[in-house]
Amino acid sequence: MTAYVALLDGGKREEGVEVRALGPGLYEVRLAGKVHAVDAFRHDHGTLSLLVDSESHSVQLDQRASGMKVHLRDSVYSVDILDERRLRMRRSAGRFTVEGRQALAAPLPCRVVRVLRKPGDAVREGEGVVLVELMGMENEIRSPRDGKVVELLVQEGQAVEKDARVASVE
Amino acid sequence: MPEGKPINKLLVANRGEIAVRVIRTAREMGLKTVAIYSDADRGALHVRLADEAVHIGPPPARDSYLVAERILAAAGRTGADAVHPGYGFLSEKAEFNRACRDAGILFVGPSPEAQEAMGVKTSARKRMAAAGVPVVPGSDGPIADQAEAQAQADAMGYPVMLKAAAGGGGKGMKKCERPQDFPALWQTAKRESASAFGDDRIYLEKFLERPRHVEIQVFADRAGNTIWLGERECSVQRRHQKIVEESPSAVLDERMRQAMGEVAVKAARAVDYLGAGTVEFLVDAQRKFYFLEMNTRLQVEHPVTEMCTGLDLVRLQLEVARGLPVPRQDEVVRRGHAVEARVYAEDPARGFLPSPGRISYLRVPGGPGVRDDSGVYAGWVVPPFYDPMISKLLAWAPTRAQAIARLDRALGDYHVHGISTNIPYLRQVLRHPAFAAGDYDTGFCAEHQKELLVPPDPGYQEVALIAAAVAAFKRDHDEAEAFAARASAAQAGRSAWARAGRLRSLGRGLR
Repeated sequence: MTAYVALLDGGKREEGVEVRALGPGLYEVRLAGKVHAVDAFRHDHGTLSLLVDSESHSVQLDQRASGMKVHLRDSVYSVDILDERRLRMRRSAGRFTVEGRQALAAPLPCRVVRVLRKPGDAVREGEGVVLVELMGMENEIRSPRDGKVVELLVQEGQAVEKDARVASVE
Repeated sequence: MPEGKPINKLLVANRGEIAVRVIRTAREMGLKTVAIYSDADRGALHVRLADEAVHIGPPPARDSYLVAERILAAAGRTGADAVHPGYGFLSEKAEFNRACRDAGILFVGPSPEAQEAMGVKTSARKRMAAAGVPVVPGSDGPIADQAEAQAQADAMGYPVMLKAAAGGGGKGMKKCERPQDFPALWQTAKRESASAFGDDRIYLEKFLERPRHVEIQVFADRAGNTIWLGERECSVQRRHQKIVEESPSAVLDERMRQAMGEVAVKAARAVDYLGAGTVEFLVDAQRKFYFLEMNTRLQVEHPVTEMCTGLDLVRLQLEVARGLPVPRQDEVVRRGHAVEARVYAEDPARGFLPSPGRISYLRVPGGPGVRDDSGVYAGWVVPPFYDPMISKLLAWAPTRAQAIARLDRALGDYHVHGISTNIPYLRQVLRHPAFAAGDYDTGFCAEHQKELLVPPDPGYQEVALIAAAVAAFKRDHDEAEAFAARASAAQAGRSAWARAGRLRSLGRGLR
């Protein structure tokens, strides 16, 4: 039996899951106080036929660098499954919070069109700090929290690499 | 109109799905094809499909797909006798068209003069007004000065549309609701326009109340026969870019359709048009229609018309270029209903932020009445340099309701892993009551943003969790088993001498 913790909604919620192997492709899964009989059949890459108790589901598992996307019926769920060790590592790293100093990074390679907030300026959650052009359109890099711009690392006209820090908000 | 001439080898001056689309028809017609590619597109599908491929420069479009000399050199080197420009890039650049003519290469499209007449939106508006075609009220021409522009906007009354004179594709186009927003939007429109078209001239149009975007496909041959092939309704737009198109439009009746078709033909004749063109109209809440612009090229959404008429518009383009006639107007029969959805590598929940990257898995839908015009494959890396559209998915059915249900079903069978796509968003559009009722305008996406961006269904979250947990369990156990198997194999394989040497070096045993 292996116990996991599932992170949902980008890490805001946790849910415990226990999995026990009963035979090839057959599992017993304990979730939210209920025990389910699960028959999992792997089709091609990333496609799983799942019989949960007697319900049949076709599930697509899309493993990305940023976590697992589960495609099921009309929805896409972001689910991260952690075991004990990974959960401890994550807790000690203390990421995924929007408290303290937050770095704003470029989501893609882009060019800075305009700086919207100077260091020292107050900013609200969701407000743009830097306006960039990427793939021909202008987009704002927004603050994840209410606070103050404490650092600005780019100038107008500058080319910025993917994931490069452009500003910090505290 | 100059003579047509035979085509033996066609260079496709484009990339992505439209290059693939053109190559497919060229192959059916027995023509040899030449692809062009930038460094970012060496592995692209259009390069794989073409008979020949020529490298034309580094990834940024301004250094590759927009450099006319390199494309003409590629045509010269491969002996291509015709160029199909696709859409976007150089497709509406009269200078490129003229350079092809000067080099003795057939440009599949209208004359450079017709492109010039329609290319600058402000002069096209003037010319159409003079030909008796109704146009949207607006400024006489591009406005040089911001203060002057704001004064005109104030006089016109808000909301107003700021538009790029050289524009198209939503770039450099902004809707201004309030006078205090004008300066910032003016600057943004100028910058976007300068970087997209190399031209920052902006003009103003009155924003019509609940406008619908309805366009007419026209076709003209070298003898001057000009026909129209029905309309496409393109009012579902996000950031002024079309994402769902259909034909017929729910807002037109037969009399209005006929009137718009005739006006579109008149617009094309006014510039001695040749080949495939699209006359775009806005239809206001009182169902009056106004000329918006004419696109002097094949349109992204042309397959909608192909599914309703049964015609292959790319074949028709190539035939007309060779000097063959278009069908007679009474030979054009439209039947049933077609809907197209544009599949983009983007994340609607993050303001439609593009999502380039590697497609780790791809399975595309099939079944009756479904067409997938794609430019990608599993393993392809969607580059961050170009428009992030990866495919156009279409459905045809005898009725509108059936076509929508069919497209929804097909989108449900469309699986793309590794990058984010707008597929769930497109399905919400198709299921929205206002869309289902045909009661929507160009404000649809903005107005219904909340309903279109639905969170995942909580009813199946447990199943999703079970799936992820079982997969993690299987992966962890496979890894543990593989590790154990390797460890015991390594133990068994190591010789007694090697073991002895290792122990000695550790200072133990064999003394």
